[in-house]
Amino acid sequence: MAFNYFTFWIRTAALFLFRSGRSTLALSLMVMVAVATLIFLSALAMGVNDTMILNSVGLYGGHISGIALPSAIQPQRLQVNGTTAILKRTVFPGALACGNRNQRVNLIGVDPFAEKKYTAIWKKTIDGRYLRNNENAVFLSQTLAEGLAVKVGSMLRFSSEISDTPVELVVSGIYQTGIDFFDRGLAFCPHTAIPHHTDTWLAAVFVQEGYDPDTIIAEYRSTLPAGLEFKSWKELMPDLVQLIELNYLSMSIVMVLVFGVVSVGIACAFVIFILKNMREYGIMKAMGVTSPEMTLLILGEVVLMNLLACGIGILAGVLAVYLAGQSGIDLSGFTSHNRYFVVSGVIFPRLTPYSLVIPPALAIFFSMLSAVWPTVLVARKKAADILRIV
Amino acid sequence: MIQLESIHKTFPSGRGFVNALKDVSFVVEKGSATAVVGKSGSGKSTLLNCIGGLERPDKGSIACFGRDILALSAKALSTFQRQSVGFIFQHGNLLSYLTVSENIAFPLTLNGIAGNPKTERVKMLLERIGLSAAAKALPHELSGGEIQRVSAARSLAHSPRMLLADEPTASLDTDTGKNLVDLMFEIGREQGCTMIISTHDPEIWGLADKTIYLRDGEKLQEEP
Repeated sequence: MAFNYFTFWIRTAALFLFRSGRSTLALSLMVMVAVATLIFLSALAMGVNDTMILNSVGLYGGHISGIALPSAIQPQRLQVNGTTAILKRTVFPGALACGNRNQRVNLIGVDPFAEKKYTAIWKKTIDGRYLRNNENAVFLSQTLAEGLAVKVGSMLRFSSEISDTPVELVVSGIYQTGIDFFDRGLAFCPHTAIPHHTDTWLAAVFVQEGYDPDTIIAEYRSTLPAGLEFKSWKELMPDLVQLIELNYLSMSIVMVLVFGVVSVGIACAFVIFILKNMREYGIMKAMGVTSPEMTLLILGEVVLMNLLACGIGILAGVLAVYLAGQSGIDLSGFTSHNRYFVVSGVIFPRLTPYSLVIPPALAIFFSMLSAVWPTVLVARKKAADILRIV
Repeated sequence: MIQLESIHKTFPSGRGFVNALKDVSFVVEKGSATAVVGKSGSGKSTLLNCIGGLERPDKGSIACFGRDILALSAKALSTFQRQSVGFIFQHGNLLSYLTVSENIAFPLTLNGIAGNPKTERVKMLLERIGLSAAAKALPHELSGGEIQRVSAARSLAHSPRMLLADEPTASLDTDTGKNLVDLMFEIGREQGCTMIISTHDPEIWGLADKTIYLRDGEKLQEEP
C-alpha cells in the first residue's frame, strides 16, 4: 500500500472522528478518565513506596550501613559521588543506672548536629529535647526511662563494658518510635560524652535521590580495604523490599483489572461506534474500498481516538499528581501504627516512566482488542448486505 | 458491452428461499443507457448489485467489457469497482462525515488522482451540479435533491465505464427527479458511460436506449 494511501485513510479516520464529535467525546472521555486515574494511582503507589523507604532509611539507618568499620577508616573516605552524608556512630555496650535501678543498654555515641540534620529520630521526642553537641546528656526511649524511673533532667550513671570508669549523663529527652529495635535497650549520647575509645564504628551513609546504594557499595568494595562490611537498606530490610514489590505487583494487577473492566465498556462503546458507521463502510465497500483499507480506516479511528484521549488523560493525570504533590496526601491517620510510616504518613505521588507509559499502552491495547470483532465484521461483510440491512 | 447470462440469485428468508433473480439474461451495449423496470421486490436492486460485483449470483455469468467479473479475485473485484463502476443509490448514500467536495473527491483519491487534477475535476463537477457554494457543506445540510446530485457527481467523478443507478429519483419530487435524470444522462453520455438504471420513473424510460422489464425476478420483456 502506497504511502499516500496510508495518509489518506488516516486523514479520513481523523475526519470521521472529528465530525462525529459527541460520540468521539463520549468514548474519549471514558479512555481519558481511565488513563488519568491509573496514572494517578501508579504515582500514588510510587509515593507510598518512597515514603516507606524515606521513613525507614531516614529515621536512623541511612541507605547504607557500614558495620564494625575500623577506626583507621575515616568517615571522609566513604564520601563518594552520590552520597549526601556519612554519619559516624560508636557503640558502647553497658548499663544505665539511676539509684538502685539499672538497665542493660547499647549506648550509641553520635554527632547530634549531623544526626538532627540527616535523620528523623529526634522527631520522635515525646518529652524534653534531642541532644546537643558536647553536652553530657543521654536521649533514651520511653521504655528505658520507665525501667529506670527517670524523667527529663534526671541524672544517670553509665557503666561501659569496656571501661571501669562510670560516666554521668543527664536525661535531655525521651523518645518513642513504636519500633522495638529503638524502643528497647537503645540510648544515644554525643561522642564527646563518653571518653572511652572503641576500635570500631558504625557508618550510616545517606544517598542522593536517583543513586543506587548497591552501586555505591560496589565502589566502596573497589576502593576500600577488603573485608569491610557494608549493607544496603534492601539487605537490612528484606520485608520492606517485599512490601514494595508487593505494592508494584498490586498496582499492576489493579491496572490490568481496571482496564479489563473499562475495556468491556470501551468494547461496547466501540462496537456501537463502529456499527453506527456501518452504512458508511458499506458505501465505501461498494466504491471498491478493500478490506485491508477498511481495517486501516477503523483501526486508524481507534488509534487516533486513543492517542487523543490518552494525551488528555496523561495531562489530566500529571496535573492531578502535581496538585496532590504540592502538599502531599496525609494518610497519617491510617499509618500511625506502621513502622514504615514512623516519621511521616504524608504521601507525595511521584511520576515515573512506568506510570506514564503503562496506562496509555494498556488503553491502546484493550481498545485495539475491543475493535477486533467489529473490524472483522465490517471487513467480512459484503457491501450489499450492509446496505440492505442498514 | 455488458453481458448477463442466465443469472440466478436466491436469498434465505424466514419462509425458506426467495428467488430474487431467475434465469435473467440480456446484453447492454457499450455507451448505451438501459432502464430496468419493475415493481418493488422484482429483483431490480439485486440485478444491479450483481452487475456491480456487490452481490454474487448463485448461477450464471456476468461479463463486463470483456471481463468475467465472477472470476475476479476480491482484490481484482475491488479494483474493477473503484475504476470502472459508479453507483447511485436510492437515498444518495453520501459519506456523512465528508463534505460535498470530499465526497466527490473520494473515488478520485481511490483511483490515485491527486493534487490539481483532482481539485479541478471536483470544481468542474460542483459547477455542473450547481453546488459550488455548498462545497464545504456536510450531507445533513443538503436537501434530498442536492444529495442525489452530489451522489451523481461522485459516481461519475472518476469517469467510470459503467454507471449503476438504483432508483435514483425514487425519493425525489417530479421536478427535482427530472433535473437529476437530465444531469445524470448529460454527464454520463458525455463520458461515454454505459448506464443501467433501475426505476419506476417514466422520465428515465423515455431517455433510455433499452428497457428491461422484471417481475418476481424474471425478465418479462426487453424493449426494443
